[in-house]
Amino acid sequence: MSKSQIQDQQPEKKSRKKHPLLSRKDALKIGGLTLAATAATQMVISGPLSADAVQGIGRATHNGHTASEDAAPPHQWRMVIDLSRCIGCEYCVRACQAVNDVPDDEMRWNIVFPERTTIGVDFYMNRPCQHCQEAPCTRVCPVGATWVRADGVVVMDYDRCIGCRYCQVACPYDVRRFNWRPVTEANPYAPQWGSSEVPRRPRGVVEKCTFCVHRIDRGLEQGLTPGVDKAATPACVAICPVGARIFGDALDPQSPVSQYLAQHETFRLREEWGTQPKVHYVRPTNGRS
Amino acid sequence: MATTVLNIHPSHRPLQIWIASLLVVFLIGLISMSQVLLNGLQVTDLSDQVPWGLWITLDLSAIALGAGAFTLSAAVYIFRIKRLEVLARPAVFVGFLGYTSAMLALAMDIGRPDRFWHPLVYWNVHSVLWEITWCVVLYSSVLVMEVMAVVGDSRLGERWPRLRSIGHFMHRLTPVLAVAGMGLSLLHQSSLGATYSVLSGRAIWFKPSLPVMFIVSAVAGGMSLTLLATQIVSLLRRQQIVPPAVCAQVTRTVGFITLGYLYIKMWDWAATSYYTNAPATADILTRLHATTPYTSTFWGVEVLLGGLAPAIVLLTPNLCKRRGLTMLALALVVIGVIINRWNITLSGLIAPPDWSPGVLGNIVAVSYFPSLIEIGVALGIVAYALLGFTLGVRYLAIYPSKDNCVD
Repeated sequence: MSKSQIQDQQPEKKSRKKHPLLSRKDALKIGGLTLAATAATQMVISGPLSADAVQGIGRATHNGHTASEDAAPPHQWRMVIDLSRCIGCEYCVRACQAVNDVPDDEMRWNIVFPERTTIGVDFYMNRPCQHCQEAPCTRVCPVGATWVRADGVVVMDYDRCIGCRYCQVACPYDVRRFNWRPVTEANPYAPQWGSSEVPRRPRGVVEKCTFCVHRIDRGLEQGLTPGVDKAATPACVAICPVGARIFGDALDPQSPVSQYLAQHETFRLREEWGTQPKVHYVRPTNGRS
Repeated sequence: MATTVLNIHPSHRPLQIWIASLLVVFLIGLISMSQVLLNGLQVTDLSDQVPWGLWITLDLSAIALGAGAFTLSAAVYIFRIKRLEVLARPAVFVGFLGYTSAMLALAMDIGRPDRFWHPLVYWNVHSVLWEITWCVVLYSSVLVMEVMAVVGDSRLGERWPRLRSIGHFMHRLTPVLAVAGMGLSLLHQSSLGATYSVLSGRAIWFKPSLPVMFIVSAVAGGMSLTLLATQIVSLLRRQQIVPPAVCAQVTRTVGFITLGYLYIKMWDWAATSYYTNAPATADILTRLHATTPYTSTFWGVEVLLGGLAPAIVLLTPNLCKRRGLTMLALALVVIGVIINRWNITLSGLIAPPDWSPGVLGNIVAVSYFPSLIEIGVALGIVAYALLGFTLGVRYLAIYPSKDNCVD
């Protein structure tokens, strides 16, 4: 910008009497220079020369979460949902609503519903946030209010969100929920299914499943192992009565999730979209009566 | 009351009625807006599956139809096509009203209007919406400066000489503003299409043609609206503002751009749905065809009424001479742009992506019809723009006056 301002002033002195401040040629020149400067800046900020390109896009999108997390990630949280084990009891749904304080059933972060495969196998589909490594939602946020943490969890800053809902439009898995109204009622799932561990979100912002990131962070501080110790494990995984959800650190070969992934054939939802989800599924079988 | 304040002669009865009815609609808009601010977006029919609707359509249309400002400014002040100078001011003024309308709609549409400034402070350079926000804010400032030049020339400038000197300074800046405006517009007019076309999970949007189609249709629609508004003023004042030769030149240009737009559109359709059968796109199109009117509005309004018909009228010399028919054609181009923005937004959302593969297809189209309050807000914003145009034409030197002074 400063370059073009200097250019602005020079012709002004010379041609004070002329009506236009700048000739068309000058104006085009300045325009061209500005474009070139923008392109050059863009190359450095987000192009092939940027820190993002060197270190991996999406790491440095949020202030305060950059320096420590750009080092080699210590963990990589993943979830396996074994559709052949799920009995559709919806305990995971209710525990999630109690712990994350989501009283409104229409705003469930984690849903379970009956489905039938094309070859006629009945099963219960489960869908928490897929925690995509290449998350479409985080890329589009105009204020950087949502990002993929170094440990792979897709989180949100509710104080920064402006409620434009572009992330909802971008998310192909329909996992994001908007606070259309102020949610003030008592939570019908607490304390029976657990008690609130996070503050409720205000009207006008988007919210989503966080893999119970507060449990992971606090658990690690206390020396617990997420996926093994219940207090450090996402509520839906900890409560599942049939062990249909498995959670843990994919970088630790001894973790329950690494072991399960090694022993079972799994798939992820719509890998062709290039989203690289961190929730893996085991195919449903005819086991359900 | 309003008319006495505005010093309109009692003999201007139709103008009084027009302004009074616009004020009523604007008032309905204000009441609806207060409902939105008080109760939040629960007063809309939007949902987590269809989070964008009427207001986004209004926002996209208002910006697209404001594109006449950068096009005609560039033509007059950069490429020095002197004949078009008479259209430069109305174009800038229509653009100013379009962009302020769009920002008004956006302020209603975001869940936290109190945080409207966040994109300027918290940057996410990977987001097209961030880039659009910056461009729209900067370009709106350009438009304000260009409108200042017009305001300085009006009676307001006579009353406050300082306003006049600011206006004159802005007028001298015009070539710079035209270059800046063109750069910013070329960026965000197309990025608005990119808003949809970068979403890899939404098959019906995920194609590189949308940004191109957005900017081409915006240029056609923006020029059409500016010329249409000018012709209406011209009719009402019984005064020839645009010489017929200039008018014919602009309408021919609009005709050619519309034809170019149709050409891109044809190949977009042929490549994505006629010559191919990409599973996700085909699935969404089947669902849309089965449950919504979008297929018929695409062919009927976007292609035939909003594209082919006006292109034929505007490019056929004999038809082009008839003023009424030309104005109708221009209006159809404008309507085509609006319906296109609605169709693009809604068709992508109404048929959500099938994220659970291998199950029996039971994902149906989600329903959306704007609530009364949504419609009220939209009408209020349109009334604001019409009111602004009416008063602007009357009190600012947007058009050369019959007897060289504002009547």
